[in-house]
Amino acid sequence: MIQLYNVSKRYSRDSVAVNDLSLKIDKGEFVYVTGASGAGKTTFLRMLYVAERPTRGQILVDGQNITRIRSHHIPYLRRKIGVVFQDFKLLQSRSVFENVAFALEAQGKKRFEVSKKVYQALKEVGLEHRLQRKPLELSGGEQQRIAIARALVVDPLILLADEPSGNLDLGVTLEIMELFKRANARGTTVLLATHDYNLHQRFPRRVITLDEGKLVGDQRPLDSVGSEH
Amino acid sequence: MLETVRYFFLRALRNMRQWPFLCSAAILTMAVSLATIATFFLIVVNIEQLAARWTEEIQVIVYLQRPPTPQELPELVNKLEQLDGVERVTYVSPSEAMERFGERLGEDAALLQGVRPDLLPASYELALHRDFRSHQGIEEIIRQLENLIPVDDLRYGQTWLERFNHFISMLRFVGAFLGGFLLFATLFIVANTIRLTLYARRDELEIMALVGATMRFIKIPFMLEGAIQGFVGGLLSLLFLSFSFSMIISRGLNAFWLTPMDFDLLFLTATQQLLLVLAGVVLGVLGSLSSLRRFVRI
Repeated sequence: MIQLYNVSKRYSRDSVAVNDLSLKIDKGEFVYVTGASGAGKTTFLRMLYVAERPTRGQILVDGQNITRIRSHHIPYLRRKIGVVFQDFKLLQSRSVFENVAFALEAQGKKRFEVSKKVYQALKEVGLEHRLQRKPLELSGGEQQRIAIARALVVDPLILLADEPSGNLDLGVTLEIMELFKRANARGTTVLLATHDYNLHQRFPRRVITLDEGKLVGDQRPLDSVGSEH
Repeated sequence: MLETVRYFFLRALRNMRQWPFLCSAAILTMAVSLATIATFFLIVVNIEQLAARWTEEIQVIVYLQRPPTPQELPELVNKLEQLDGVERVTYVSPSEAMERFGERLGEDAALLQGVRPDLLPASYELALHRDFRSHQGIEEIIRQLENLIPVDDLRYGQTWLERFNHFISMLRFVGAFLGGFLLFATLFIVANTIRLTLYARRDELEIMALVGATMRFIKIPFMLEGAIQGFVGGLLSLLFLSFSFSMIISRGLNAFWLTPMDFDLLFLTATQQLLLVLAGVVLGVLGSLSSLRRFVRI
């Protein structure tokens, strides 16, 4: 699903965010991307949805070489990818329903289809009773669940999450992890950037470790089915 | 297709409702800018119109060495009327000239008693076509005249005409300069106001790009919004101008500065009014487009 060949990203001569990174992630995998702050986790994820372009190397997503993808093709690539951020990136002036519907509307989906899918996605994250509320009226955990619903409502092939539980307490983090696991069980490839080592101890999956932009570890759990089941 | 247009339109309206302050700021900026430009345009148009009235007074007076005989007169008048740029020819005989002089002297007309009635020379008064009411136009007519009849003297208010020409050139230069400056300032202010409104909504633009919206999907509602705001701004400026104009007319202020002449102030024609509103729409769309280029990066 995702292949990187000798990928580097430099912001300036002295600032190397990702350094000669090569790896392969199969369809349906659940992968943690770990490393200290500044290790290159965010840049790695941003390159996958072409918010950044690599300085060197090749990246393939779903068989498509995205290294030199033309600007007008980027939206179509992004429709295959759901992204969740630490700061949620919700539209505060829009209702919960509108925030989730936004992703489908952007893809030109019909109105009746939008309503149905948004309701299902919000039900999936347990917020179907908060449709008309504004994000700021909800807790941090609930806001992150809206963001996850927005990412999942388009049935993405890949779900990228950049420190999704960074600002949330343990109980909420566990709820959110459950949502990612469910998406993964339906076939979505999940990449979760985190520096929370407890997470992959609690839910063991493949762990890719970055340090100063380099790949320094790629561990798969002994029981690849997952010990928590 | 219809569904898409409807969606874009509704989104533009919803955005405006969600950001009432930004929306009002953009509309008011455009209204004030358009009204300023239109007011300036009206001032220039009215001064030009007034100046055109003054030029109606311009005529060439041809003083003759001797009065024509009654037989010569119709043919000469006919010849003069055939000249390029001559609209109307009036013959003033020496006795008519004396009569007019007497009228001008008014109470002092008695001074003319005992003066020979043929003392003053006969003359032709040539009224000119609009295009020939200039220094060059008159010179052209004089050239034709000199080949036609023996002329004793010519009068056409040379000094006044030169001054008038300077005034008109100056008016046009100042008009073009100030108009250009105003237009530039308007574009600058409107583009910046729209840029500020988009800056406040950059999160929305970022999220749209993130969830796979195409450029077209992102831009069209914002351009529509710009067009609607420009349309409303244009209408507001028109309302303001109409109101101010009717105030000026109703208070008789036009008579205040144009007292000596029977002159109606000009307002924008129907086409110009339509153009003003259209200019608002174009301004809104271009302002949005130029600012979007800065904020939307896919």
